Amino acid sequence: MLGKGGKRKFDEHEDGLEGKVVSPTDGPSKVSYTLQRQTIFNISLMKLYNHRPLTEPSLQKTVLINNMLRRIQEELKQEGSLRPMFVTASQPADPLSDNFREAQPAFSHLASSQPLLPTDFVSTMPLESCLTPASLLEDDTFCTSPTVPHDGPTKPPPPALQAVKDSFSTALDEIEELCPAPTSAEAVAAETAAEDSKAHPSESNIHRPPEGLPESRTAESKLMDSLPGNFEITASTGFLTDLTLDDILFADIDTSMYDFDPCTSATGAASKMAPVSADELLKTLAPYSSQPVTPNQPFKMDLTELDHIMEVLVGS
Amino acid sequence: FLEGFGSLMQDVLWCFSQVKGTIDIGVTEADIISTVEFNHTGELLATGDKGGRVVIFQREQESKNQPHRRGEYNVYSTFQSHEPEFDYLKSLEIEEKINKIRWLPQQNAAYFLLSTNDKTVKLWKVSERDKRPEGYNLKDEDGRLRDPSMITMLRVPVLRPMDLMVEATPRRVFANAHTYHINSISVNSDYETYMSADDLRINLWNFEITNQSFNIVDIKPANMEELTEVITAAEFHPHHCNTFVYSSSKGTIRLCDMRTAALCDRHAKFFEEPEDPSNRSFFSEIISSISDVKFSHSGRYIMTRDYLTVKVWDLNMENRPIETYQVHDYLRSKLCSLYENDCIFDKFECVWNGSDSVIMTGSYNNFFRMFDRNTKRDVTLEASRENSKPRAILKPRKVCVGGKRRKDEISVDSLDFSKKILHTAWHPSENIIAVAATNNLYIFQDKVN
Repeated sequence: MLGKGGKRKFDEHEDGLEGKVVSPTDGPSKVSYTLQRQTIFNISLMKLYNHRPLTEPSLQKTVLINNMLRRIQEELKQEGSLRPMFVTASQPADPLSDNFREAQPAFSHLASSQPLLPTDFVSTMPLESCLTPASLLEDDTFCTSPTVPHDGPTKPPPPALQAVKDSFSTALDEIEELCPAPTSAEAVAAETAAEDSKAHPSESNIHRPPEGLPESRTAESKLMDSLPGNFEITASTGFLTDLTLDDILFADIDTSMYDFDPCTSATGAASKMAPVSADELLKTLAPYSSQPVTPNQPFKMDLTELDHIMEVLVGS
Repeated sequence: FLEGFGSLMQDVLWCFSQVKGTIDIGVTEADIISTVEFNHTGELLATGDKGGRVVIFQREQESKNQPHRRGEYNVYSTFQSHEPEFDYLKSLEIEEKINKIRWLPQQNAAYFLLSTNDKTVKLWKVSERDKRPEGYNLKDEDGRLRDPSMITMLRVPVLRPMDLMVEATPRRVFANAHTYHINSISVNSDYETYMSADDLRINLWNFEITNQSFNIVDIKPANMEELTEVITAAEFHPHHCNTFVYSSSKGTIRLCDMRTAALCDRHAKFFEEPEDPSNRSFFSEIISSISDVKFSHSGRYIMTRDYLTVKVWDLNMENRPIETYQVHDYLRSKLCSLYENDCIFDKFECVWNGSDSVIMTGSYNNFFRMFDRNTKRDVTLEASRENSKPRAILKPRKVCVGGKRRKDEISVDSLDFSKKILHTAWHPSENIIAVAATNNLYIFQDKVN
């Protein structure tokens, strides 16, 4: 067991973090309350989105986690303003992990033998996502909230755009299930490509609690606004509505990325596709990859992901 | 006969009787026991596992030669109840895990039980065959047909004894009635109907009719995004065939009367305890979710299990339980980690003893707890191979919460959360209990003087 000194430190933090009555108005423990709330929020999101069971997930569990997220959302709405505010400056990856290591000891007693989940959350995020915030800051799409009856002073995005985002995410999920190559990191990145805004502020919140409190609150609330949209998809699959996955998958998919000139010029017979080598395909993909990946695109795709999709389609 | 049993905890010493299952270090997932149930006489004990199998144990006749062996349970029948299936519409597997087994009262020589997985309920008939006909005219002993022209004599076949064979046959399959996962089945006291409950709906079946069921509870909202509450357990009243209860993920219990309406969406009684403001936390709702609800044998009380407590409710008092027992309150400060590792969603069951004077439920580290309602004494016992010597008396265990740990105590941080006792059963009239610890079934009895 740990030495007595360590134990005392645990107790101190235990009161603050897991204490029964920790209201947001208490002075020094206000930070720990926010930290705990953020941790629980992240854990809840991970449970909902990273869980890929072979069998249907438990509806009871999904409902309880959703209720948890909604409750935190309500709290944040009541606490902070909903004006979109962003964490300033892009952060390089290293300070991210350093600051996070500082925050870690406070939580280490929460997860006994397992690594702290937010670190997992951070570490599985590909570097590209960590570096996108600068572009997001300039982009209007970050401010958008999904088309859900939600009284927030945010600009509604073009509804078609949102539908394409969501349907594409699920389409990508479907394709990922076909080919095992995409890692879970990519899966998370792809899923959250449409919701990058959500992912990053939560990371910055974790490692900047002292200075970023007002920002973190509003950024969190930004997060919250994007939540119901995610729930829609989750609800459709997790809550097992009578609506089938097909209805979501085959609605409004923008397949323009799949139509490559060398392929579509063929008559479509499978045998004619065979002579097209992977290298030739890569060359045709080059013009697409050289385009700046701006958030204004309806979806972001890694070249590698496109590769995988092409491989599946062509069968090479 | 019943009054004396279990009424004074200090007089009951629990002893190890038997353990079923392998001692392998690696547990095969399919062998994990998922339900345990005695039949109405206690003669039979059924278990279901994650692999879809049912194993029935039968108590041997007590012999005068060995009075200390108070009737051991031996394997009576084993059969594959459910197979894994695939839902092509959702591209998801349907688990073959047996969620619940419920016995029907015995009406003839055969035994009948209901077993269910997430989607399908089956009625199984378990019967014995100890005689077989011999001396057919048209076929010989091997079953080969005889040439009719060779037959010169006529004889009457006779029944001759044979080795006992126990066969299980599926008599009814009740399928395609549940969109969501079945969590409970309950046989009605009329012995003609039973109910099956999933996350959002409860259906009433007649045993004879498999292609139709009545929907008696439906809490599915029109817009699934508004869903905040699910059904977690349901049970018929032991004597009144029109009454049943169901519990929810928000810690409420509803009692319904089927005579009032075809669809019992409006409850006759609503049981809910007001929240204790001093205990509020992020996890208040999750730990209030009821994982099991059981009527007492008398029908006067219901017992509910949520994550940290067991509560006894009087049917005549809806605003709060009459008794609350802390199962493992030391976990209250660990809820965040338990949420992270999903343990907070574990569904513990609870059982009454035959006289409704003692209640039992499981915990972690292969501990299980008993609470005497009369003396208010409680005890923590452990199901482990170390205490598995024949007729060895189980020593009470204690979890040390803080400060100095005594010699035999175990600290909270040393508890093994992978060893959870979710399923237990109590013999209907005697002090015999069955405790499922992962892939092992322990049977304990009280000490015979």
